[in-house]
Amino acid sequence: MQPATLLAAFTALPTKTQLVHLNAVDIAVIAIYFAIVIYIGFYLKGSAKTGEEFFMAGREMTAWIAGLSFVSANLGSLELMGWAGSAYQYGILAAHWYWIGAIPAMLFLGIIMMPFYYISKVNSVPGYLNLRYGPATRALSGISFAFMTVLMSGINMYAMALVMKVVLGWDLNFSIWVSSATVALYVILGGLRSAIFNEVLQFLLIWIGALLVPILGLVEVGGWTNLKHQIVHNLGNAQYVHLWSGLGHFSTNPMGVNWFGIVFGLGFVVSFGYWTTDFLVVQRVLSAHNLRAARMAPIIGAGFKMMVPFIVILPGLLALSVLPFHLVGESVAVATGQHSYNEVLPLMLVRYLGPGLLGLGVTALIAGFMSGMAGNVSAFSTVWTYDIYGAFFNKKASDEHYVSMGRWSMFVGVLISVGTAYLVQHAASIMDYVQALFSFFIAPLFGTVILGMLWKRATKAGGFWGLLAGTCTAIGLWEWVRTDPSALRYVALSPDAKAMAQDIYRALWSWLVCVIVTVVVSYLTAPKPDAELADLVYGITPLPEEHDEHWYQSPMLWAGLIAIVFVILNVIFW
Amino acid sequence: MRESISIWFFSGMLFLVYGVIITAEGIRELSHAPAHPPVLFSLHAPIWWGAAMGVAGLVYTIHFWPRRHR
Repeated sequence: MQPATLLAAFTALPTKTQLVHLNAVDIAVIAIYFAIVIYIGFYLKGSAKTGEEFFMAGREMTAWIAGLSFVSANLGSLELMGWAGSAYQYGILAAHWYWIGAIPAMLFLGIIMMPFYYISKVNSVPGYLNLRYGPATRALSGISFAFMTVLMSGINMYAMALVMKVVLGWDLNFSIWVSSATVALYVILGGLRSAIFNEVLQFLLIWIGALLVPILGLVEVGGWTNLKHQIVHNLGNAQYVHLWSGLGHFSTNPMGVNWFGIVFGLGFVVSFGYWTTDFLVVQRVLSAHNLRAARMAPIIGAGFKMMVPFIVILPGLLALSVLPFHLVGESVAVATGQHSYNEVLPLMLVRYLGPGLLGLGVTALIAGFMSGMAGNVSAFSTVWTYDIYGAFFNKKASDEHYVSMGRWSMFVGVLISVGTAYLVQHAASIMDYVQALFSFFIAPLFGTVILGMLWKRATKAGGFWGLLAGTCTAIGLWEWVRTDPSALRYVALSPDAKAMAQDIYRALWSWLVCVIVTVVVSYLTAPKPDAELADLVYGITPLPEEHDEHWYQSPMLWAGLIAIVFVILNVIFW
Repeated sequence: MRESISIWFFSGMLFLVYGVIITAEGIRELSHAPAHPPVLFSLHAPIWWGAAMGVAGLVYTIHFWPRRHR
C-alpha cells in the first residue's frame, strides 16, 4: 500500500467518532515505551563519538541485531495498516509483497552482493557508486536519495498523525511534534547504534502487540480452513485465498496484475531494487561486525519477513469473515461515513484487545512509525555527510567535524520532515508527486549497481547515462499515464491492468532501459583497468574464505532452508 | 572499565514490565469486567499473554543482566 493511498483515505474521512478510547493502563504502556527509547538514546550517547561509531554503529552489530533492524526499518506503521487494508481489498495476493516481493532479493543480498558492499568498506550505496562509476553517478544517486528520504519521512509522519487522530482522537500537532522530537533525540544522541537498538525493540513490540489479533481471530473463525470457506462464501470469489492460481491474466484476480508482472516486475526489479540498493535498509547490514554477520543479517531478516503476513495479511483476511459490516473504498467512506479498508488493523485491534493489550497494540503502531522515521533520518544523515557535504563541499574535514555535521543534518532532516508534514497538510497532492518521485530512482539504481558488481566492462559513462536514462524513462511513463490513463494498456501490456500493475511494469521498463543504455554506452567507452576494480566487481575481487566453526553456521545453509520454506508457502497457498 | 548493556536486556526489561502490567490488568478484569468487553473476552487473553511476556522478559533480563567488562 502506498502511503499516498492511505493518506488520501484518512484525509478524506469525515469527522466521526474516534475508534478507540484508551484508559490509564493503556497510557502507561505507551508512556513506558517512550521513556525506554529516550533512555536508550542517552545511554548510547557515549558510544557515538567517531564517524565510524556514529554513522556505522562502529560496525559492531551481530547478525541477529543487524538482521532484525534490517526488517524493522521497513516495517513502518503505514506498512502494517496499509497492507492489512490491501489484504481486505485484494485477498491473499497482498502477501506477494512479503514473499516473492522480498525473500529472493534479501537472500541475494546476503549471498551475492553483501561481500562487495562489505569488502569495499564504503559507508553508503552512493559511496559504492563513487568507487565503481565516479562522482557524477554518486551525486545523482546521493542527492536524489537524501532529499526523497526526508520528504518521505515527513509524509509518513503526517499520515501517522492522521491515523492517530482518527483512531485515538489525538491532536495532529501533538502527534507530529512528540513523535518527531523523540526520534530526533535518540538518533542525534546515539547515532545509528541508537536507531538500530530501538529498531530491534520496536520489531519485538510490533510482534507482541499485533500477534494476538490473528491468534484470537483464528480461534473465532474456527481455523484457517473455515476462514477460507467463509471468505469464499461471503465474497463468492475463490481468488481471494489463492496466491498464484488467478494470475494467468490481469482480469482473473482482484488486483488486476498478471504472473509475469509479479515474477519479473515485483519479484525481480522492484524487490531487488528496494532490498539490495535502498540505503535505508542496506545501512543496517553494513553495521555488522564481520562479513559472515553481514551475510547472515539479510538471511535472518528474510526469515522474519516471511512471517510478517501472519500479523499483517491474516488480520485483513479475518476481517473479511468476522466484521459485522463491510469496509469500503475511500470515496464511499467519505460519502457515507463508513469505515475504509485502511482502518482494518485498528478495527481488529479494538475487536480483540481490551485495556492494557490495546495500549500494547497502539504502541506497536507507534513503534512501527518511529522505526521507519529513525531509519530515514539516519540514512539521510549518512548520505548527506559523506556523499554530498564530504564529497563536494568539504572534502578534508576532521572526523569530529563530520560527526558534528551528522548530528546537525539529523536535526535538519527531522525539521524538513516536520515541514513536509505541514506542507502536505495544506496541499495533499504534493504527496503523490513525492511518492512517485521516490519510486523513479529505485529500479534503475538496481540496474546500475548490479551491472557494476557483476560486469567488469561497465564504465563510468555507462553507469551514469544508464541511471539517468532509466530514471527519465520512469518519469516519462508516470507522466504519460497521469495525463492519459488509457496509456496504462501500453505500459502494462493489457487493457485489463489496474493501478498496481502500473507501478510494477513502470519499474520493469525503467530497469530495462537502464541496463540497455549502460551496456551500449559501456561498449562505446574505454573500460576501467582491472586494478581499479579490485574489491568492487565479481571475478576480480578475491572473496575471503569463510570458515564456520559449525556446519549449522553456514549462511548458504540458512539461505537454502529459507528458500525451501518460501517455495513450500507458495505451493500451500497456490 | 565500562558497563555495557545488551539490547536484549532492554527488551527483557520491557517485556517483563509489560507482562506484569497486562497480567495484573487481566486479573483485575476477573472481578471488574470492562463495560464493553472485547470479542473472546472469556479466554482472558491478558492473563496468559501477559504471563508469557513476563516469563520471556524475566528470562532475558536475567540472562543478559549487565556485567562489568575489564
